[in-house]
Amino acid sequence: MGLLSILRKLRTAPEKELRLLLLGLDNAGKTTILKTLASEDITNITPTAGFNIKSVNSDGFKLNVWDIGGQRKIRPYWKNYFENTDVLIYVVDSADKKRLEETGIELYELLSDDKLLDVPLLVYANKQDLPDSLSAAEIARTLGLPTIKDRSWQIQACTATQGVGVREGMEWVCKNIKKK
Amino acid sequence: MTFSLWWIFTYYFRSVIKWFLRKTTGLCELQRICYGEIPGAPRIRKVEYSLFMSKSHQVKQLIQHLNSISDNNGFIGPNEPEILNGAVKVVMLVKKIDPKIHFQFVKSFGKCVEQIWGYRQLIAEAEQLRTTNYDSDDPEHEAKLQNLWMKLKPNDKLEGRITKQWQEIGFQGEDPKTDFRGMGLLGLENLLYFSTVYSSAAQHVLGHSYHPVYGYCFAIVGINLTSLAWTLLKEGSAKTYIYNNSAGAPSIKLFHQFYSYLFYEFDRFWMDCKPKDIMEFSNIKNKFEDNVRMNLQDPTADFRIGVTVDNV
Repeated sequence: MGLLSILRKLRTAPEKELRLLLLGLDNAGKTTILKTLASEDITNITPTAGFNIKSVNSDGFKLNVWDIGGQRKIRPYWKNYFENTDVLIYVVDSADKKRLEETGIELYELLSDDKLLDVPLLVYANKQDLPDSLSAAEIARTLGLPTIKDRSWQIQACTATQGVGVREGMEWVCKNIKKK
Repeated sequence: MTFSLWWIFTYYFRSVIKWFLRKTTGLCELQRICYGEIPGAPRIRKVEYSLFMSKSHQVKQLIQHLNSISDNNGFIGPNEPEILNGAVKVVMLVKKIDPKIHFQFVKSFGKCVEQIWGYRQLIAEAEQLRTTNYDSDDPEHEAKLQNLWMKLKPNDKLEGRITKQWQEIGFQGEDPKTDFRGMGLLGLENLLYFSTVYSSAAQHVLGHSYHPVYGYCFAIVGINLTSLAWTLLKEGSAKTYIYNNSAGAPSIKLFHQFYSYLFYEFDRFWMDCKPKDIMEFSNIKNKFEDNVRMNLQDPTADFRIGVTVDNV
């Protein structure tokens, strides 16, 4: 029984593995998105010291999602995780208007890095449930996403704490990879 | 498979062995445990197991009753002596134990019941604190945060409520309020207790957090350790610590002490690991967690902060 299932697994093993990099400022909601993707409990999240990694199966892909801490002290380490990234996922706290500029600067720094050249970009406009949050369209405009011509990109409104919008973003990721 | 076989074995053969021992020693299992086992976790855990394995309808009912009282924070408190008395009486009647002859058992068994359901209530209390989000409009929460600063940085004045200074004690940005996340007020209370009661140990740890190579964010790591302490409490692994260290009924103070122990030990472990940078945190934390779990499996283990002075 055990051996058979191992053999069966081996035969179906060559599914495509993807490396997704989850970045954004601290308190944007990266770990909540990661845990939502892995269908884990999101009520006991702590600030990420270092990074978290989880593997999720979606749409015939094995997604290895790297969630790197977003606080200023950790940002210099982001670049150590760029190599072989298939899709960059950038998370924005749509209600944190004070730091929109900061998050924009960090994003463009990422986009200008050679190691992330041509890597598709998915932006999650998170925390849509908060009363004074900006819509996905407003976030896209403020961040100047429409001016990005060198790669495919997508903005997805979501409320990670309620699991709203997260799947839709991942569907775009998988579709975009298939097109390649 | 192996689990269910073991279960059948314990469930049916246990009764046979118990019956045999009862006939030969004239004592029921609970009495044998209370008289024979060393006090603390070894005795309490065995009593707990024996109670939860009991097939007696009355004992089952009693367990249910005590569970619901402690889940609603009603066990430890003004009614405790009465509840305890009642619980012991039920077991004495069911097991036909004469309280005049076995007054020692009454005392010892009562203490076990106090610990077992005190622990359960402790989970409820910690959970209540954890699910209370940090609220910057609540003056009580704000006062605790200010107090934390004063305890950790007694010589530096905080220049404002929103300031980069918070990063000096390891918060992420200019306002700590969002850093407590899923640990809520429990994270803050843990940090505050450690910094207040174990002031020198906390200063020692805070000093390490400034290390040029092995440095880390004191508060953020602290909040991650709250998560560890809370997980260990909830799953029951922390019973060894609580049962071996509580003089009276378990209280939230004891949980804070457990946390302080974890923080101090984690810091030591972290420094011994000589990490390349903070990105090794998850790895080292997982190793530390494995070690702690292993230590907690030894029911006689004693956990104390061994404050040592070393060169930073």
